[in-house]
Amino acid sequence: MVTITVNGVRREVQAPDDTPLLYVLRNDLQLIGPQFGCGLAQCGACAVLVDGKEARSCVTPVAGVAGQEITTLEGLPARWAKQKGLSAEEAKNTLHPVQQAWIEEQTPQCGFCQNGMMIKATELLESNPHPTLAQIKEAFTTSGVSPNLCRCGTYVAIMEAVQHAATIMAKGR
Amino acid sequence: MATMSEKPQNVFGPTLSRRQFVKAGGALVVGFSLVGPEFLKGDAGKAATFKNSLDPTLPSSWIEIHPDNTVLIRTGKSDFGQGSTFTAYRQIVADELSVTFEAITTVVAGSTDQTPDGSGAFDFLGRGTPNIRKAAAYTYQALLDLASEKLGVPKDKLSVKEGVVSGGGKSISYGDLVKGQQLKLTIPVRGDLTGIMGLTIEGNPPMKPVGEYKVIGKSFKSSVISSKVAAKETWATDVRLPGMLHARVVHPKTLGSTLVSAGQVDKSKFPNSQVIVKGNLVGVVAPTEWEAIQAAEQVASGTKWTEWKGLPGNAKLYQHLREEADWTSTPVVKSDAAKGDVGPALESGHRKLSATYQLSYMKHAPIGPTMAVADVKADGTVHIYAHNQNPQALRGEIAMMLGTTLDHVIVHAYPGPGHYGRSNGGNAGAEDEAVILSQAVGKPVRVQWMRADDMQWSTQSSVSFSDVQLAIDKQGKMAAYQIDHYMPAMQDDRPIGAVLAGLPTMQAPNPKGAFVSSTANGIEDPWVYAGVSNVMERGHGTFQVGQKASPLAVGLRDHSMRTPGQFQQNYPRELAINEAAALAGADAIQFRIDHATDERAIGVLKAVRESSGWDTRPSPRPDAVSTGSTAVRGRGVSLMLRSGTYWACVCQIAVTPSTGAIVVEKYAIAVDPGIVVNPMQLKRNVEGGAVMGIGHALFEEMMFDESGITTDDWLAYPIPTMADIPEIKVVLLHNPKVGSYGGGSEAANALAAPAIAAALHDATGKIMRRLPMKPAYVQALLKA
Repeated sequence: MVTITVNGVRREVQAPDDTPLLYVLRNDLQLIGPQFGCGLAQCGACAVLVDGKEARSCVTPVAGVAGQEITTLEGLPARWAKQKGLSAEEAKNTLHPVQQAWIEEQTPQCGFCQNGMMIKATELLESNPHPTLAQIKEAFTTSGVSPNLCRCGTYVAIMEAVQHAATIMAKGR
Repeated sequence: MATMSEKPQNVFGPTLSRRQFVKAGGALVVGFSLVGPEFLKGDAGKAATFKNSLDPTLPSSWIEIHPDNTVLIRTGKSDFGQGSTFTAYRQIVADELSVTFEAITTVVAGSTDQTPDGSGAFDFLGRGTPNIRKAAAYTYQALLDLASEKLGVPKDKLSVKEGVVSGGGKSISYGDLVKGQQLKLTIPVRGDLTGIMGLTIEGNPPMKPVGEYKVIGKSFKSSVISSKVAAKETWATDVRLPGMLHARVVHPKTLGSTLVSAGQVDKSKFPNSQVIVKGNLVGVVAPTEWEAIQAAEQVASGTKWTEWKGLPGNAKLYQHLREEADWTSTPVVKSDAAKGDVGPALESGHRKLSATYQLSYMKHAPIGPTMAVADVKADGTVHIYAHNQNPQALRGEIAMMLGTTLDHVIVHAYPGPGHYGRSNGGNAGAEDEAVILSQAVGKPVRVQWMRADDMQWSTQSSVSFSDVQLAIDKQGKMAAYQIDHYMPAMQDDRPIGAVLAGLPTMQAPNPKGAFVSSTANGIEDPWVYAGVSNVMERGHGTFQVGQKASPLAVGLRDHSMRTPGQFQQNYPRELAINEAAALAGADAIQFRIDHATDERAIGVLKAVRESSGWDTRPSPRPDAVSTGSTAVRGRGVSLMLRSGTYWACVCQIAVTPSTGAIVVEKYAIAVDPGIVVNPMQLKRNVEGGAVMGIGHALFEEMMFDESGITTDDWLAYPIPTMADIPEIKVVLLHNPKVGSYGGGSEAANALAAPAIAAALHDATGKIMRRLPMKPAYVQALLKA
């Protein structure tokens, strides 16, 4: 049995220690934001935040993240609410600025990779609130174990959405 | 595939005016019917005889108007990221019904028991008149009839605003009109529900005049984007049924290997796993996904297959196609654009070009590998939960595989990764395998392909080559143009699990195959240079590479991919036109304008010339160089007509001769679809297609050896990353006088390749007539 903390909640899971975190999240905890894209840490569809850093859950053994804070796409609104000290009532109706921007910019096409894109954007904006275009490109290509891949080619929309999210975050909500 | 293209002059069929409809139109209303029941005898209405299907002749199968004035629409077309069903379809229906966008609260798409018409997730705007538009137009007339009766006001004295009918000083809302009654309306349909095109609504109901559009033309957001971004959408990957087992498939060692013996599960390690063997299909099922993955790997290592080496391999591919492929097997298709006498005109040309252009195999490469959940019930009913571009076609394929009828098969459609055409004929790979395994174990089974399965066992976009001959006269005009396109069959819709298991499927592509299963190579790229006097375009088809040699009858299976067939034909044409302009000493955009007569083609060329800051001059540039380690710059242009939409693009590149590396720096696209239905969604579709096009042009090449596909992951098959993104400018030309709207989610991916190749010529003076333009290939060209 492994105990992990996901989106602020301690969860006990029965899966073997070497089970990739992705399958635990999706099959045991019903957290379906992360998607299976390659199982090889080559695309980013499965990304989650582990202690604020983007990680590929498809190659991360569940036992390896015991004791660390895991955030999935589902946990982004609460993460933002906590960072901004929003009330429970406000938090309930608030998406993370990255999610808001992704909707306002109509970023996804099929959307299958966008979990990882939003996770990467959150990681970036938490450390660099006003990234330049070059910094955004760097974040989505060379900062992680592989570039974050989108087959629909939504990169232009992602770049615009990251900048839009930065504006929302600067306003504070 | 025979042909899915249309002649440019016939893009939009005739429509009846409102007045004509009133005369003939009573025929469409049950009770006043002139042709109703008789009309429905042939093909029409056939689907209504199946259980678990909607009756397509009933208006409520398409559009429901509720007493609270909300509206629900149904379409067989699943969304694959284009967003059309959630935006354009709502907008089109809203305008035809005279309701608001917001009144259409529900879009039901894809599932075979909940939608009426089938067909694939392509051509959403249906040459300007998708089924849903006609359904709305018919419904509108029936609502007016009902209101006329109820208010006692003649139909032609009624007007409708936001779902309220008014006339003669009285008014009533749609909700109140329909309370407790069915519309008196029969929707006339024709076609084959499980065929690739599905059912088509017949007749010509009056359509809302363009000038009265209130909803079309605005940038409404897609509701499904909101639910996906908020992790509130149920994807196909999320479906979990009680008692469901996870499965992985051990695919054969090669594309021609048959099973010698299946490995055994090591029960000490995987006590709950089980091997299922059906013919050459080997599956491993387990209660948890991780156990299924590990047990399948262990079983694979103990599974023995025959050896097979029946493919030419990449290095000999073009030699094989040129010298060994049987192009006489299949009748040659001649273009409707053929005219004049090409032979003498080529002979007497002042300057001549004779060249061959090659495209490689490319993968659709969805970002998520194919998966499906199947539940074969004890009573023989089959439920499939999947992300599929053509659920009704899948339904037909599964019924055929199991020797059952359509009544027993239900496909439940869910969102998933884009397939870019791979499943438009009804299967992406995992669906039939899930059914076979579920039937074997008597439980629901979820088959998930791994990345390597998806790269090596899926279909691919077909390879092709084209021979061009053209001549320029003394005045610098193109006097003759001749092109011969050679492409193996591009649509193999046989479900691979059924093939491996030895179960019934449709035939492999063959010369006698109907429509999409034909080996015929139809002309897919409408000719746009009507000013040329002597034109010949021919399409030559044959069997897929390895199809006949493989003991499995598999080989390299092809499938239509975004801008199918047309990409393979437009790339050689447009690159050849760039070369023709250079031969004539003319500017490549002006040369096109001088040979086009269609003002919309000329319009997109002028728009892209302006937006790209094009300097008018011939190519190559005066200071072109093909050596050195300093980047040199060039620009090129391309033009296409597809699905009623005109496209032109200009790419500006920097190429470093010593390394052969090309960077696209600026990319301008002009699009004239006629009426722009939703500018924001169209712009996003165009940008995405443009980015995919950079991959097609520069990186994408499926590699294979004598036994099978060696491309097995994202390192072996690179696609564009954010680092490859140039400055992209999209110019949308809203052109209401066209009177209808064309498609926008295809074509953009095909534009870059000829434009980048032309830009390479502009920069270096050397022509590369092969895709992709990988650094090593470019380097070799420039050194030669």
